[in-house]
Amino acid sequence: MSSFTKSAQQWATFARSWYLIDARMQPPGKIATMCAIRLQGKHKPIYHALSDVGDHVVVMNSRHIAFSGNKWEQKMYSSHTQYPGGFKQVTATQLHSKDPKAIVKLAVYGMLPRNLSRRTMMQRLHLFPEDDLPEDILLNLTEELPQPREIPRRLNEYSQEEREAFPTLWTPLPQTFK
Amino acid sequence: MAARCVLGSIWTSLSGVKSMASSSNMSVFQSITNYPQLSVFGIIQSRGIRQVVEKKEGKTTIIEGLTQDTLAGPQPPNPTAQCPIYQWNLQNKYNYTDVLLLSQFIRSDGGMLPRRVTGLCAQEHRKIAICVQMAHRAGLLPDHKPPLPEGHVPKKPKPQLNRYLTRWSIDSVKPIYRAGLKWCKNRISVGHPALRNNVQYGKKILYLKH
Repeated sequence: MSSFTKSAQQWATFARSWYLIDARMQPPGKIATMCAIRLQGKHKPIYHALSDVGDHVVVMNSRHIAFSGNKWEQKMYSSHTQYPGGFKQVTATQLHSKDPKAIVKLAVYGMLPRNLSRRTMMQRLHLFPEDDLPEDILLNLTEELPQPREIPRRLNEYSQEEREAFPTLWTPLPQTFK
Repeated sequence: MAARCVLGSIWTSLSGVKSMASSSNMSVFQSITNYPQLSVFGIIQSRGIRQVVEKKEGKTTIIEGLTQDTLAGPQPPNPTAQCPIYQWNLQNKYNYTDVLLLSQFIRSDGGMLPRRVTGLCAQEHRKIAICVQMAHRAGLLPDHKPPLPEGHVPKKPKPQLNRYLTRWSIDSVKPIYRAGLKWCKNRISVGHPALRNNVQYGKKILYLKH
């Protein structure tokens, strides 16, 4: 903007922001795409791969992510210890019970570009299993990003008026009660 | 809701009088059917839900079935259809998240009501059953769990994992050990193919394999 000083405009363009994402009831893949875009800096018009314009992203409630389908039982995470016979495969359930941050971390790691800046970008990703964040991170946060998936309401979360306003589709015939 | 309570009270009165009628050798109890209500001509003078009333005049007992006016609830836009879903034009429009709709077809312990009671056609009954299963697995029907026997102690604490659009039952699924390469990946099924014809209001198409 023309009314700002040059130094203020420089600061506003190149400052590193801190974003917050709540991963409760969200698919970890969609959370990871949002994180990866912001860690690289692709959401900025001044993006360049060599310019290190990525921001910090804080993901909270990573213990409460939701997988669609039967991915908790079917999705496998593989690793190799480099020793013979060291190929290990773990289901998403087992991995999540061992480390609640691992699923989101691996998802983001796989979505970042395969170069040396990937490790620095992962250092700027902060994962927390629950919603209790440390003070210094809370002070740095600038914006909370909207959740990618709309959480459906449970039956007991509907009020009595809403339940009554919904029409009854069928009426029971007296003779069918036996 | 209110209509069902009224019908329940009618049924108790009918059942009480049915035993009396059978004892007095008078078959007054007629078969009762719901009749279509045309809003143009008003209520057709045909069979409806009746309340049995007994009157005693000296030595004669008169047992009469008085036609009960049905409650003026919201009428379906297509009353000539066979299935309640088609009567309300909801075919291909509901999903596992529409708990208010699904809760009308389930028992208190979470099971589906039989087709001969609800009046659903076969395909819609199956689709509703699939959506109810998915809603149970997503935890959207917390008050419709089956009652556990008293003194039941769970052996291991089950991991509380959030899930949605689960097609298969949790214990029946095996892990995919060899997923394959990107061009020939062994995909994970999501949702159910019975709901393939559902209306998509955005530009995104429905993916059944992730």
